[in-house]
Amino acid sequence: SSHEYKLNFRKSKEACLSYIQDALLQKQWKRAAEFLTCYVESLEKDYSREHVGPSEMIWRIGTEILWHHSQSSMKDFNCFMEQMKTLGVKRYLKVCLEHVFHLLCNGQIDEAYQNLSLAESWRFGEQTAIQDKEMKLIEAYRGLLDYYSWSKQKNVLLEHSEDGFSDLAVEREMHSYFRKAAVNLKEIIKIPGVWDVFVKCYVDLLEFYGDHNEARQVLNEYAYNSKFPANPNAHVYLYQFLKRQGESKKSLISALKILHDIVPSHELMIDFNTMLQKSKKRKKRRLGLEVIFAVLDYAGWKENAKAWSCLARQVKKIVTSEKHLDWIKQEWNSRKDWWPAFHFSRYLAKRNWQENRSLSYEKALVAGILLGKDCKYFKYVSHQGCKAQLKRFRMLKKFVNRHNPVYLRISG
Amino acid sequence: MEFPAALFPSYFGAGPPREEGGPAPAAGWGEHGQVLEGGPGRRQAQQAFVPRRGATGERWEAADAAAVPVLLPSAGCWIPSPAPQDIVYRSGLCKKLRAGKSGATLDFAKQLGHFFVDHPEDAFGSLGQLLHKNFYLGNSKLKRPARNSTIRMTALVEDIDRLEARRGCPRQHLASRLRWFSHLCRDWLFEVPLGLLADCLHEELMQQWSNLLFDDSLTGGALAWLPPDDGGTSVGRLVHPGGQAMNHLYFQDVMLEELPRARGFPAQFELSGRIRQVAAARVDGEDFVGVRSDYHCGVWRVPGRTGAAPIPLQVIRTDMPASCLTVSPHLPGELSVCTQSGTVYLWSVETGLQQLRHDAQTMFFRDHSPWRWSDFTAHPRVLSCADRTGLQCLDARAPKKCHFDLFKVGEEAGCQRGERVVLPMYLGRAHPSQYLVTTQFSVYVLDERLPLVPVLKWAHMMKAPPLFAHLMPGSPGRSHQVLLGASRTQELLLLQYRGNFWDVSSGGNQSACQLAGTPQKLHSIAGCLQHLPTQLPHRQHLLQQRLTAPAAGLAAALQEDGPHKSMLVFQLSEAGDVFCQRLTHKAAQAPAPPSRDEATTAPGSSPLFEAPASSPQGLAAALRYRRWLRALSRSFREPARHTWHPSLSQRRLFTRRDLEGPAGPSSLQRQMHQRLRQAMREGVLIQRWEPLAVQPPPLPQTLEPAGGPDPLSARLTAAWAGDWEQWWEERTSFSVAQRQRALRERRRRQKRARGHQSLSASFTSSLTYQSELSELSDAGPALLSPGRPPTLSQDGSPPAGSPAVHSPPTSPAPEEALLSSQSLRCRGIPKERRKTLRDYLSVLAEGAPEPPEPPGSQASQLCIPSQSQLSSASQPRRKRPRMGF
Repeated sequence: SSHEYKLNFRKSKEACLSYIQDALLQKQWKRAAEFLTCYVESLEKDYSREHVGPSEMIWRIGTEILWHHSQSSMKDFNCFMEQMKTLGVKRYLKVCLEHVFHLLCNGQIDEAYQNLSLAESWRFGEQTAIQDKEMKLIEAYRGLLDYYSWSKQKNVLLEHSEDGFSDLAVEREMHSYFRKAAVNLKEIIKIPGVWDVFVKCYVDLLEFYGDHNEARQVLNEYAYNSKFPANPNAHVYLYQFLKRQGESKKSLISALKILHDIVPSHELMIDFNTMLQKSKKRKKRRLGLEVIFAVLDYAGWKENAKAWSCLARQVKKIVTSEKHLDWIKQEWNSRKDWWPAFHFSRYLAKRNWQENRSLSYEKALVAGILLGKDCKYFKYVSHQGCKAQLKRFRMLKKFVNRHNPVYLRISG
Repeated sequence: MEFPAALFPSYFGAGPPREEGGPAPAAGWGEHGQVLEGGPGRRQAQQAFVPRRGATGERWEAADAAAVPVLLPSAGCWIPSPAPQDIVYRSGLCKKLRAGKSGATLDFAKQLGHFFVDHPEDAFGSLGQLLHKNFYLGNSKLKRPARNSTIRMTALVEDIDRLEARRGCPRQHLASRLRWFSHLCRDWLFEVPLGLLADCLHEELMQQWSNLLFDDSLTGGALAWLPPDDGGTSVGRLVHPGGQAMNHLYFQDVMLEELPRARGFPAQFELSGRIRQVAAARVDGEDFVGVRSDYHCGVWRVPGRTGAAPIPLQVIRTDMPASCLTVSPHLPGELSVCTQSGTVYLWSVETGLQQLRHDAQTMFFRDHSPWRWSDFTAHPRVLSCADRTGLQCLDARAPKKCHFDLFKVGEEAGCQRGERVVLPMYLGRAHPSQYLVTTQFSVYVLDERLPLVPVLKWAHMMKAPPLFAHLMPGSPGRSHQVLLGASRTQELLLLQYRGNFWDVSSGGNQSACQLAGTPQKLHSIAGCLQHLPTQLPHRQHLLQQRLTAPAAGLAAALQEDGPHKSMLVFQLSEAGDVFCQRLTHKAAQAPAPPSRDEATTAPGSSPLFEAPASSPQGLAAALRYRRWLRALSRSFREPARHTWHPSLSQRRLFTRRDLEGPAGPSSLQRQMHQRLRQAMREGVLIQRWEPLAVQPPPLPQTLEPAGGPDPLSARLTAAWAGDWEQWWEERTSFSVAQRQRALRERRRRQKRARGHQSLSASFTSSLTYQSELSELSDAGPALLSPGRPPTLSQDGSPPAGSPAVHSPPTSPAPEEALLSSQSLRCRGIPKERRKTLRDYLSVLAEGAPEPPEPPGSQASQLCIPSQSQLSSASQPRRKRPRMGF
């Protein structure tokens, strides 16, 4: 009969849980809270062997309710969290972290810092792999908060130095923050992961103290270590660092070239294209054309006037100089079966004309050269432009008509 | 299309998932995940942080208490797909499932038997014809010359019937005759070799069973909403399947009002297979609708103007069942198709099919599922391919060379063990490089610029895997809504997320992707059942079956009416019903008084029907329901008029000998039945249960004076003497006196018994109650012997004051025989009706002249004992023998 009792208890526990779930999903926080008070009984006889036990569920559900319940206060929340921390050893660090996150989101930075320090000093036997990760995160977040304190002190100090006097105590405090932050931040960014915030802060610290080599090494590691995910931001940070350092065009271009290979649709590709267009080397200008064509392959750039003007400028330059028409031809070859429908349909001509005339101007220029003067897009836009008596569009029409043989060479 | 300046921190590991698997009921609650600096107070002294999950979202509130039907149910009855009890061996299902084992015992033998009975020509055609002269199925003995070449099969058939009755009995092996026969003819009797047939059947059964557990052919859903033009009309189009076999495709114009209303007749296409999926995308102001059935895929073009007829463009046929069809949002007339053999095609209406990949194996690790999926990405030439283990993107221009992994079930995305991809979806309308992937445990949002690492992950806690998803992109700066739908449980979940929007002017604040607001459960179709008026039981059953049919599709429409914004969510069921619910957008971010929403959605309240007049919209919904129910009941009735009535051969139910059974008592019974029926028809009382007075009832012999002469001879003597009249006078007065005496005697007896009445009456009535209870609950042999129901005891001296006194005790009238529960049972009157019949008769009997007792309380005691009797009932029951009964 004890078995039956267990079964029934389990059943009623499950029923209660499903009521809670139902209430939560319908945002009935009060109802959920009432059911949860009953569910707490399930802690008493916890025979479950599921990987998520009742204590974890109580923590999760209770937290969710306290986030949304109209009568809950931060005090209640802290109190609940403290109780939850004692409920399970394995979950202590996780609950601490979540508690800190909530404090941070509510602007209670100091309380969060205290909690982080407490959690950091917590020891309980051997740590599992997950606990190890959580501990590292706790340390990293403490490092992050130390960094924010450091930068606050730094601003104070900079203001003071503008006024013409220095404050030794503030400076010393700032340095201690630096040390604390640097130790913890350095640790976490060694582990494979996405650590954008931590890397940025760490590099900022290093740069302030003039340790550029270390900063470069950190950024290189973050961008090029194959154990890390292919994070475009890693390359962006490296590029920005190189730019700040006043590095040569060549190294900037090589940094962006790698970004282009990973994410051809990245917004830095516009800068990359302008940089390449200005270059005197043919190879680089060629790469520039490739980059801008690739950018415009993506749906997100479809109506970006800036990208289209980049392409239009380069195409116009090539057409007027009549050199390297084969570059256009090569790029066009892999696109001629789908760009007309993707970019140069009559529907888009109409819509672009209505919504953004300069965009339609740039696109019409490209369309006129790539598809000839009989292309639907060009015809519609130039017709509308001439009707509206816009000089720009009349010039455009003339230009395309004059260079119509180019189209034949490209498509031929 | 900017990339967020900083992403939420996360670990990145490689390899198989490490986390313990299994559904976790509350895994999605109470976690912020990570935080990131940002938010409104950025440039101020105080740092502000934003969480990955738990940010405030938009408020969407259900406008009605339940989903409302959009279209009237289609004529013609719906054939429900097989239920577990159809193919699983007896009650093995519940036991096995409860024990948590996956393998249920499929009822193979029964299905094979069905095949033989339903398709005898296919099963035994030629040999049956050859042998039919040699098999004899009659009852009579075979004559001499025939016996040489003919076998009498009757005994064999009887054996089979007996075997059927003894299913599950351990002593089945006794049917030696059957074994002998099957040994003899197993090899040659069947048209299709038995082994082959069994193999095929078994395969089919396994297929049906796995479909019952999880049917992935519905992935993507068979419902699409084509939004109205930008022109400002409020007429959109609903594309949905219908018809008995779900093989008709409808394009129905729908007017978006308070309740969406169908306008005009739908454009209709009959297809040659069950429609599994309807996908749609709008390119250059025109909608392209792809339709997938098992072996055919088709594409329609729907011009932008309202009222323009849809144009069928092309159809392809596949050798293997197609598992996916998606329509390109970039290029008109482009689709991607996957088949179960692991082939992915790019299908262009102009240039035809281009095979991108052919690989029967899964991508990242071995999984048995043949399901494949494919969708488009931000680059019109790059397609994603998915199987249960993950997603890859490949370039259609060089599919062999250019590809990268987008999502892997593994440690990279922090998956659990046993997690599998259920539905990938391109979120291009919200953000050109984002992707949604659902598994049975979680939903992921991926950015193709940062492959393998989900930018968002959340445990959705749905009971069934989400097979349908619908995206409602929010305007820049606002959150996007994603609807997730499950099939079997009809669950609907509304999620909100805020992506890094792309259409802002440069320098706009680019935040990483975060989940906004709490997830919200929407009404399912079956949820309206509790609000509907009660139906007749069988209707209720049919209605329930209809409304709880698995969901088959999901679509949503956004309706903006000035400041008011609302969302209409359409849900399609396998029965072809389309239901709709409206969610209204509440502009205020502040938490509204919670009492309100809790009151409106509390379970058990049914504002739809109880107070429909309170709001005009409620009234409209109620009206909609009434019309729908009426149309549905009409369609229930229809098959009875047209189709063939199933008829049962009596000979298979009873042998002739059974039917020839005792005919003796039935004539009286039949009379009783007739009278009862007649009385019920005419609404009159039956005063006595004597058979109709065809001949006057014989006078009771017992009333004759014992020692007198033989009455016949006395009468003859009198007649001979001529004073016959006088003799008659004397005789009748004598009998009256006799009767009066007897009556007096009985009254005295009763009076004597009344001394005990206060006690015994309560016992008897309590016993009555007990006996009824025991019958109703079917507790088998209760403490009372069922053969002797105390109220209706047949012995001459019943406990006085008991309700049984209604009938004259001295003569065992037929009423008593009729009333005793045992006799009722013998007559085959069902248990639940026995009580009704008894009540009916007892009430009728009050009109009879005999009972001297006050009637009212007695009658009520017979049916429903009062509270005091109930309480006294339990104890004295056991004491019965001692009390001298």
